[in-house]
Amino acid sequence: MNDSVVAQMVVSGALMGLVYALIAYGFQLTYATSKSINFGQGELVMVSAFICLSLTNLGLPYPVMVPLGLFCGSLLGLFVERSGVRLALEQKSEGWILLTIIIGLLFFSVSENIWGRDDRPFPTPIPSDAIQLFGISVTPVEISVAVGVFMIMGIIELFKRKTLLGKAFEAVSADRDAAELMGISATKTIMLSYSLSGMVAALAGILVAPITTVGPTMASALVLKAFSVAVVAGLDSGFGVVVIGLFLGALESLTSYYVGSGWREAPGLVLLILALAIRPTGVFGAAVIRKV
Amino acid sequence: MLTVDNLHAGYGASEVLLGVSLTVTQGTVVALIGPNGAGKTTTMRAISGLLKPTGGEISIDGRQVQGMDASRIAKLGLAHAPEGRKVFGPLSVEDNLLLGAYCRLPKFFGFLGKAAHDLERVYELFPRLLERRTQSAGTLSGGEQQMLAIGRALMANPKVMLMDEPSMGLAPVIVEEVFAIINRLKETGITLLLVEQMAKRALEVADYAYVMERGRIVVEGKPAELQKDERVLSAYLGSVATAE
Repeated sequence: MNDSVVAQMVVSGALMGLVYALIAYGFQLTYATSKSINFGQGELVMVSAFICLSLTNLGLPYPVMVPLGLFCGSLLGLFVERSGVRLALEQKSEGWILLTIIIGLLFFSVSENIWGRDDRPFPTPIPSDAIQLFGISVTPVEISVAVGVFMIMGIIELFKRKTLLGKAFEAVSADRDAAELMGISATKTIMLSYSLSGMVAALAGILVAPITTVGPTMASALVLKAFSVAVVAGLDSGFGVVVIGLFLGALESLTSYYVGSGWREAPGLVLLILALAIRPTGVFGAAVIRKV
Repeated sequence: MLTVDNLHAGYGASEVLLGVSLTVTQGTVVALIGPNGAGKTTTMRAISGLLKPTGGEISIDGRQVQGMDASRIAKLGLAHAPEGRKVFGPLSVEDNLLLGAYCRLPKFFGFLGKAAHDLERVYELFPRLLERRTQSAGTLSGGEQQMLAIGRALMANPKVMLMDEPSMGLAPVIVEEVFAIINRLKETGITLLLVEQMAKRALEVADYAYVMERGRIVVEGKPAELQKDERVLSAYLGSVATAE
């Protein structure tokens, strides 16, 4: 067994794992403010990728297409919030689970009708010819995944820590009633979290599409893995999803190499079951300490 | 400044407030006392909008606010230091204070500069908070959290302030400190509605007081009068005095 092959597997798997981490981060954003998540997040990834493909086909250059795509993603996120999540939250029900699944299915059939069922290549100006880095060959497309993921998570975390609006976001997740008493509208903050989450999903779509191609089912496996990353890492740790995402990605590609490619999906599911059984708050999830 | 007229509210099918009326005029401290379960905290929650009243009117500075979201009522100049303090545990002490002034500050950048003056004022009142400004609020002691909750409400420069059970769960020496602060705030002309279990202490600081029982105001008057009232004396002041 060759060390460099293993290293190669770990690196390219881990880079893919960053996409899981990014989608999982999208779950965390909305969970923080509203204790709800969009179970149709995978469809947001897919629809955004299709929209970006159409924008590219219209002749828009990449640097224009990306911000437009992110903007569309945040609009889609807002749509999910307004047409589904809010209705359930207003009645303090758990109906958002079904509603977000239904909206996801709706997105799925709409995009099948608009864009068809075929998987299509996603053109990108970033070259996909491998380059050698410390003896490991990576493609610039893979590197762009890492850069994109860390950039957007960095920007959102900075926003949460350094701006007053971001601190208000944290306040709503810490104590919704108390935040309302400060004049912070919980409804608007939840809208903000859904639009950020939609934007993150769109970026995941843009980053991953050159690797996976664009098709109606492109994100169904991704989102399942993202879900296990979110559960294993805990729904409140941005750092945790990155670590677990990297880990799961690497583990997957090693599994498919050593055990067989049919077993690729197994580690994510096993981790999910273990996490739910052993530590439901997540490896990085803090147990809340309350002083009364 | 704050008028509550025939306020009804409750949780689900159970009505807790059965027509509460009270007035807090500008620059006065008004105490709302009464036994556990009388509806004092419910009154506070209904005024600040955390609980939607089912009937009656609330006006702040002449504006009707019943039925509005809590965040809108806060913008109109009401600050509420709630029961159980409810500080933002994971955020730093200073962030908690800044959020108190959320309505008045720019939302992205430059909020620190704009809040500097008010922060200084609160830190002067609570030097302990200055010492701990970078510490996360959840790690503070109960007394410090209470100071923070009061400071955070003050940051809003409110027209009216509600303070719910500031002495709850605190050591006697800290309770002293809290009431000293309330006295200082009174000297600065704050308009305050104070809910307290420690009726005696509340009456000492208040200009006017209401006694609440089973969802209604049963007695009201100047503290000096209430302290002479046989019923109030035996029901609240006596028992509280022995409890202390």
